[in-house]
Amino acid sequence: MRIAFVLNGKKRALDAPPLARLLDLLRGPLGLTGTKEGCGEGECGSCTVLLDGVPVNACLVVAGQCDGRTVLTVEGLGTKDGLSDLQDAFVKEGGAQCGICTPGILMAAHALLTANPQPGEGEIRESIAGNVCRCTGYQRIVESIRHAAKERASRESG
Amino acid sequence: MALVGRSVPRADGPAKVAGTARYVDDLTRPGALLGATLRSPVARGRLRGIRRDPAFDWAGVTVVTAEDVPVNVVALIEEDQPVLASDEVRHAYEPIALVAAEDPVRLARALRALTPEIEPLPPVLTVADALARKAQIHGPDNVFATYRISKGDAAQAIASSPVRLTGRYRTHHQEQLYIEPQGMLAFWDANGAHLVGSLQCPFYVHKGVKRTFSLDDAHVDVTQAVTGGGFGGKEEYPTLLALHALLLAKKSGRPVKMIYNRQEDVEATTKRHPCEVTIESGCDREGNLSAVSIKVLMDGGAYVTLTPVVLSRAALHAAGAYRWEHVAIEAVAVATNTPPNGAFRGFGAPQTIWAIERHMDRIARELSADPLELREKNLLRVGDTTPTGQFLKESVGVQRCVEEARKASGWDKKRASLGAAAPTRPVSALLRRSAPGGSAPRKARGIGASVFLHGAGFTGSGERRLKGRVAIDMLRGPSGKKPLFRIRTASTEIGQGTETVFRQIAAEALWVSMDRVEFATPSTSVVPDSGPTVASRTVMIVGSIVERAARDLFARTENERQKGGGSFDDAALRLLAGKEPVVSEKTYETPGDVVWDDETYRGDAYPVFAWGCDIAEVEVDLDTFETTVLGFWAVQDVGKAINPLLCKGQIEGGTLQAIGWALNERLVVEEGRILNARMANYIVPTSLDAPRFTTVLVEDPYSMGPGGGAKGIGELPMDGGAPAIAAAIEHATGIVRDDLPLLPEDLFAARRTGT
Amino acid sequence: MNPAELALYPFERPATLAELCHTLSARAGRRERTVLLAGGTDWIVERGFAPPENPDDLPLVLDISRLPELRGIQLAKERAAIGAAATFLEIRSHPVLLRRVPVLTAMAREVGAVQIQARGTLGGNLATASPAADGAAALMALDADVVLASVHGERRVPLTQFFTGYRATRRAEDEVIVRVEFVLPRTGAHQAWRKVGTRAAQAISKVALAAVAEFERGRGVRAGFGMASVSPVTASLPTVRALALAPSLASVSDEELDAATRHDIAPIDDIRSTAAYRAHVASALVKAFFRELRAAAGS
Repeated sequence: MRIAFVLNGKKRALDAPPLARLLDLLRGPLGLTGTKEGCGEGECGSCTVLLDGVPVNACLVVAGQCDGRTVLTVEGLGTKDGLSDLQDAFVKEGGAQCGICTPGILMAAHALLTANPQPGEGEIRESIAGNVCRCTGYQRIVESIRHAAKERASRESG
Repeated sequence: MALVGRSVPRADGPAKVAGTARYVDDLTRPGALLGATLRSPVARGRLRGIRRDPAFDWAGVTVVTAEDVPVNVVALIEEDQPVLASDEVRHAYEPIALVAAEDPVRLARALRALTPEIEPLPPVLTVADALARKAQIHGPDNVFATYRISKGDAAQAIASSPVRLTGRYRTHHQEQLYIEPQGMLAFWDANGAHLVGSLQCPFYVHKGVKRTFSLDDAHVDVTQAVTGGGFGGKEEYPTLLALHALLLAKKSGRPVKMIYNRQEDVEATTKRHPCEVTIESGCDREGNLSAVSIKVLMDGGAYVTLTPVVLSRAALHAAGAYRWEHVAIEAVAVATNTPPNGAFRGFGAPQTIWAIERHMDRIARELSADPLELREKNLLRVGDTTPTGQFLKESVGVQRCVEEARKASGWDKKRASLGAAAPTRPVSALLRRSAPGGSAPRKARGIGASVFLHGAGFTGSGERRLKGRVAIDMLRGPSGKKPLFRIRTASTEIGQGTETVFRQIAAEALWVSMDRVEFATPSTSVVPDSGPTVASRTVMIVGSIVERAARDLFARTENERQKGGGSFDDAALRLLAGKEPVVSEKTYETPGDVVWDDETYRGDAYPVFAWGCDIAEVEVDLDTFETTVLGFWAVQDVGKAINPLLCKGQIEGGTLQAIGWALNERLVVEEGRILNARMANYIVPTSLDAPRFTTVLVEDPYSMGPGGGAKGIGELPMDGGAPAIAAAIEHATGIVRDDLPLLPEDLFAARRTGT
Repeated sequence: MNPAELALYPFERPATLAELCHTLSARAGRRERTVLLAGGTDWIVERGFAPPENPDDLPLVLDISRLPELRGIQLAKERAAIGAAATFLEIRSHPVLLRRVPVLTAMAREVGAVQIQARGTLGGNLATASPAADGAAALMALDADVVLASVHGERRVPLTQFFTGYRATRRAEDEVIVRVEFVLPRTGAHQAWRKVGTRAAQAISKVALAAVAEFERGRGVRAGFGMASVSPVTASLPTVRALALAPSLASVSDEELDAATRHDIAPIDDIRSTAAYRAHVASALVKAFFRELRAAAGS
């Protein structure tokens, strides 16, 4: 089946089995290995990407359902000059340890901050509750997201 | 420009947040096949054969069985485990055959076209059955290992104590559940065997490959890919997976990649050992401890793996952070026909710390004493000796940990105002959402504490035998002006911050900026054997070798500068202009006064201990018995924090694993099979389950630690979480649990039966 | 089966409901199997654990996630019609539902986490008929109707009669759930959603209670309950409902509530919990809701 969609801001089209998992398309023919597989059953959130701006598990979305839609992966988060402010906050604030859950968490956090630029701690925790991290205890992740939100606010007000 | 003690951003951070860090499943090689494993469906049986479906098209499919394995043993402590079962199958999921094919669909079908023919034998599924020798499955008595530690005359001292108490405490399995499943990419060429994989210990794999394929050092290369968490789960197990991938690669003549799916990973790889600890203690009415007798009984699973070492660490931590004049410890590990248990952060200590901490609460209950006060009264101090007779000469920061934790958590006030005896107005947890109708839930709050220690580095003579090595190269910089330095070590970065912290230590000792210090990808053909990335030894032991090598290079350069003038960089360039490479390789030197006797189990079990005090505040729903952790104070003596942010990240992450072990995680094993090998039903905490941590670093430096006194803290945070939670639940509800876990069903059952 | 084997399944995306019904009818007539795929949070997950199917006889997978007739949330004349392909994320953020039907939005907020909420649909939740389905419990409390469509037109089945057994429903092979409909609870109705799951998020219910009680001049006029994970199908707690409509709530004792709850459920031991715990929690949640009703009546 011919699948045409916008991937990380660029139009892409490829032939794929319609029930191939989006995760396998990204990691295989599209060469975007930043999206990780941790469980294959929609539990760990490591494969979180944004489908039309909303976080989904790429292991549960099939190719045929992506036709005509917009997909954003971790590779599309950065700016021309490098890391996005959110990515940068994860480096500075200790939000990443082993890093395998990090791309998925960044996508969930990116969606949160887009919809809600100044989230409270409860909202931050709820937004990443579908992303299991076994390294950090989550606190540094929460701090990273909070830090990015704060920086944005101070940039906008300044 | 002090680097040590600063929370510099982690070196591997940018690649990880950009998604460009390459984990093993992100790698491939031209022509690579995919591999999979045929496993035993039963816990014990005799393998009669492997039937291949004649209707299946086997073209292009490689099948490997035990006959294809040159030396069919996994080289670990003992060589009891086969690479592939050939005769007796000893646990469910034991590997029987291997398959490789071009694509995942062919692979899945080929695997289904193989059927193991097994004649079932009666399995030994419990420790009791193993001890009763229901069947003989290991040696004459099914015992993997026994250790005894003795100081004074415990039996006599307990008998003459005014307060004698006995308790039995059990802990359950725990799955590491690193988010990246195990994986390995293998290939052969003229230089021999090559492996790239998700692993903690390149030289463990190296040793196993040499043994099974009868190769020498030079013909095996093991390289670590970026590794998505380990927690001990990628300590010994990757050796088996590496051997499997290499066997398939050898037979097929193609590179082979094997990536476990989650279910296979949970079923087949090692877990934390379940444990039963019986404690008998004697003290006086004022709570002065005098004597303790401890029996530790551990389920090792089907093969030895690292069980003796886990058991040893369990025994060495069993008396806790307390002064006892008389101690008798006996620890036994037995074989069962269940998947082998192995390394998991804490390595035996969380099991016995659980027991001794619950026992301390039992004593406090009996004496109507404040549990923290009772502990404080009996803490080990500088000048005391441990059960093995180890004289504590420095860096015992436990008193400060307790003081800080008491203060930060508001212990005194909460202990008096919360709890079953003093019901307070319920508050909803910070993060748990309340019912929309706001029906008033019935809840109780409580606060509990634990105090604990963790020996850093290998046990006993381990470091002396191992002689870990690190090299630092001086290299020409890209501009040719500023020389660079490259750390070569087998200590791996698995998320805990090895790369960053080593670069900090080296840069500080070399008086250069961190960007001039590189960290070589751990590859056995490039790095010296620094020992495995385990046992809380990376920063304290290997970090101290890094520091010495860096200081040596600095001294040599400084010497050259004084001879020939110019700047440090000028001098370095002059050294580099010579014929020989400029490199400093150093070997770990165990401090001379650290002495250990393996025969008697007397002496310095560890060079030094790290210490901690955890305090948990919980709210228990009295209708549903759900526990919400409202606050958690982790105060830990780390000697010296090289990178405080990373150090706190270790403590928080380790503590949440301990909280999960207590409140969420439960491995359901029936007939030796795991019934919940999925992330949907092996439940670990999410961000909404995790408490807000208050983490306080106490620094009571260790004179031999790098960076001015760092101690190992990788495992310490795993030790105290569970007992602190149990104590808080007890305070809140009056429910006393001596066994893990503390799931709502367990609390409900305990409450109903009044036990 | 291996998830890679999903790539072998035939797939179509009908453009309209009429086209879908036509395909379903034709295939049912030929006794060909069809899978209706919306968010995939059940079917795709379960493929990974299901035995492989005969590659020569795979079902046709029809993507219904974007069928216009199955989308959207309509509110008119105090009735709600929620499209079968409406996601939990759409439901939990709908402004009118948030105000008028908090039992539903609170439920949707606690399904999995945001990634699952973005994909999971109410129709899928009903069609898969898991006793643990949170959506089914909430809709049960609202006494919702399930609207099914086929080439023969639409028919309406009360949710209380929709489930026929463990993972079995009255939906025929040639039918598709198009929407659910229910009367909005009157303003001021008591509504409660309480999920006791395996953890605080990304959890499957061990027990979950949805409850709606409407009063007129202090007298109960409608009571709806739905409970997840306590019987082979979503429990509607008929005996408990009757007690909620008793002339005087104050006269309903905890013992009566315990007995009624016990009568209405049949919990079991499974991988997630125990029968004894479930029975206890089911009673506790019912009693807690009645305490709230009594408190409201007394104030």
